[in-house]
Amino acid sequence: MTLIEQVLFIGRGVIVTLKYTLSALAVGLSVGMGLAILRRQILFRWLVDSVVSLIRGTPLLLQLSFFYFAVPGFLGIRLDIWHAGLIAFGLNSAAYVTEIFRSGIQSVAKGQFEAAKSLQIPTLLLWKDIIIPQVLRNIFPALVNEIISLIKETAIISMFGELDIMRRAQVVAASQFNYFEALCLAAVYYYSLIFIIERVTNKIEKTWYAKY
Amino acid sequence: MLSINNLCKAYVGANLFKNFSLEITARSIVGLTGPSGSGKSTLLRCIQHLENIDSGEIIVNGKAGFIFQDFQLFPHMTVLDNIIYAPVKVLNQPKEVAKKAAEDLLQQLGLLEQQHKYPAALSGGQKQRVAVARSLIMHPDLLLCDEPTSGLDLGSIIGFKQLLQQVHSMGVTMIIASHDINFLAQIASRILVLKHGVIVQDLSKNDFSGSLDLLKDALLA
Repeated sequence: MTLIEQVLFIGRGVIVTLKYTLSALAVGLSVGMGLAILRRQILFRWLVDSVVSLIRGTPLLLQLSFFYFAVPGFLGIRLDIWHAGLIAFGLNSAAYVTEIFRSGIQSVAKGQFEAAKSLQIPTLLLWKDIIIPQVLRNIFPALVNEIISLIKETAIISMFGELDIMRRAQVVAASQFNYFEALCLAAVYYYSLIFIIERVTNKIEKTWYAKY
Repeated sequence: MLSINNLCKAYVGANLFKNFSLEITARSIVGLTGPSGSGKSTLLRCIQHLENIDSGEIIVNGKAGFIFQDFQLFPHMTVLDNIIYAPVKVLNQPKEVAKKAAEDLLQQLGLLEQQHKYPAALSGGQKQRVAVARSLIMHPDLLLCDEPTSGLDLGSIIGFKQLLQQVHSMGVTMIIASHDINFLAQIASRILVLKHGVIVQDLSKNDFSGSLDLLKDALLA
């Protein structure tokens, strides 16, 4: 394998890494936002806090193994690595996003809820148009951190045979008996992805924060 | 316009209002004053259902609007969007109709040029006028103002007084909670002095138009 071939082979793993990252982010954001709002009801607070605590208190590798090996055996269903990964990464991200959203909601003045109530704005619109836009702005840097963490964490999927950046680097390393080049190439890909995200989100942040 | 009958409300564990009753007639401007912790803001918040009451009843004949001490404009919306959001989304008015009404209001308030700015770019007095416009566009029959002059400079206070008189001429009843008795004496037709959730003085315009002595005595007693 020439160096160019190695670069191209490992590069194809970017799509797999991004597939897991973006899907997990979508699950994490929607579930995390929902849990953070649900948590405001005293009835659900204990439940949400327990789930978040459990997910944050166990390793991601264990969670992924649990959904890939344990749940299918227990329920008698077949779950491929893509679905197991989506659930594990998604729920893991949701736990952290719940906490990020919780702090974001707390950072919105209580008076904003009251002003909306005074204007008879219904609950759904209150959240959609008044509170969540303010929360998103407040938590944007923390959400960017979550995306960056997710990109790196998806490397665990390589242990289950998915051909992401990490797995492809291992394949190249094993075939060439040379770990140095292959792992350096993987690092360049991961770093490049994160560098692009940092630049893009910095730009978004600047434009957004300059508005108000 | 407003009837409060036997209101009971505990606040931070203690009974603030105990069988509190009050009648306010339509088109009046009622000033509500008293020391900190006397229950001025809580009373306004109870009327607007921002606080749960323990017992009693509060009857408002019509819609009530609320001007918050710190305005509570929506920071992510422009001045215009702050004003037209509720008419469009809550009253289902066509956007163009709401926009026209908002522009008319902004014109009256001298804020038309600021309509595309975000609240952060406005002065305290301007924010307050936007808050008034946001309430007025919902056509309230009763306007509740919580400490409207705190944090405003003298020019803004004078401007706000004129604005309230303008609002009153539209037939809106007002209750203004404030520490500023000079301001209240200039604008109100009736002033209530509240202490520990009890009205200790109920003064009509004649009682305070010449001198503020009765008011000061009630506050210092």
